[in-house]
Amino acid sequence: MSKLTIGCFSSLVGSMSLDFAVKLSKAAVEKGHSVDMWVSGNATMLSKKGQRAFKDYSALAKPLEELFATGKFQATACEACAEARGYHKDDTMAGFKRHSMDWYLASCFSADKVLHIGGD
Amino acid sequence: MKLGVFMSDYRSGSDVIERLQAEKLGIILVGNGVYHAAAKENGGASSVLSKQATFYVLVEDLESRGFTAANIDSRVKVVNYGDVVDLIFNDYEKIIWI
Amino acid sequence: MAIKKYAFVVKSLPYKIESSRLAMTHAISSQTVEIYLEDGENVEPVICFIGDGVLNCVKGHQAMKHYGVTSLEQHIKNALLLDLKVLICKEDVDKFGLSEASLIMDAEDIGGETKAQVVPYSEIQQALDSADHLLFN
Repeated sequence: MSKLTIGCFSSLVGSMSLDFAVKLSKAAVEKGHSVDMWVSGNATMLSKKGQRAFKDYSALAKPLEELFATGKFQATACEACAEARGYHKDDTMAGFKRHSMDWYLASCFSADKVLHIGGD
Repeated sequence: MKLGVFMSDYRSGSDVIERLQAEKLGIILVGNGVYHAAAKENGGASSVLSKQATFYVLVEDLESRGFTAANIDSRVKVVNYGDVVDLIFNDYEKIIWI
Repeated sequence: MAIKKYAFVVKSLPYKIESSRLAMTHAISSQTVEIYLEDGENVEPVICFIGDGVLNCVKGHQAMKHYGVTSLEQHIKNALLLDLKVLICKEDVDKFGLSEASLIMDAEDIGGETKAQVVPYSEIQQALDSADHLLFN
């Protein structure tokens, strides 16, 4: 089976791009593929623990937990981007890693396909 | 190259699409990009659909915006997330998001 | 030796959103990616400015003075200092009535030797064709 690396810059709240990225990850894992997700910029909001689900906002903590449980999905947040937003190591959701940007480039190196969602 | 393009917006990105060259081009309309498949601005279809490409639209994003497979341009094929995964791994060498 | 080419394409304007800045910082992070790779493996980035993105390349940014943040000019110069390939689309430069004299073409003031290149879109298309992965921003 193949590996997909998804990078995303978009915010959890205020954009639906992360919603897309998580749903695509789920579909890929269900087909037996592995997925690396990288979040930087405003997308590091996804790595914050303690997200409360409201119906007016994207709530992705639960699907992320389910993805982590498959063992075929890993997610990493840009450490500097998170720190700049006040998301410290202790604030990070279980399962989420934090690294510098070179981690993403290395994940792309071994990926069969890369989907980079910039913008927003 | 065989290029798959995720088009996620309606008002921007057309300039990128216009100049992209690929021996095989697939345009997957997602997010607000679905309006290229569904909207009839001034009675006409989106100019994006005149590009030599295979077009897909993500059904979840289409339905979220009040459209269905029954009222989209005939050039566009409706796909779900599972289909998108297969397109990424089986049909295109490189993938971009605009 | 396994080298993978990544094309970072910058099509967005600077500052309002973080996209062009993140494109630059991610491209520059290629300088340390080897720590995650096997011997002989590496990443070769090319940075391409197209469409509105060429406006990132106008010289004379005073973002540090007014916003208190590193300017896109400084990021472009850092990329050139590290010998990254920087391509700027000529058709878009012409569209905005710009000339090479008004663009960030080198990093000589910080000791850089590599220069940015204003090239026809056809050369940028070639860079996209030869890249292993495309990262649009």
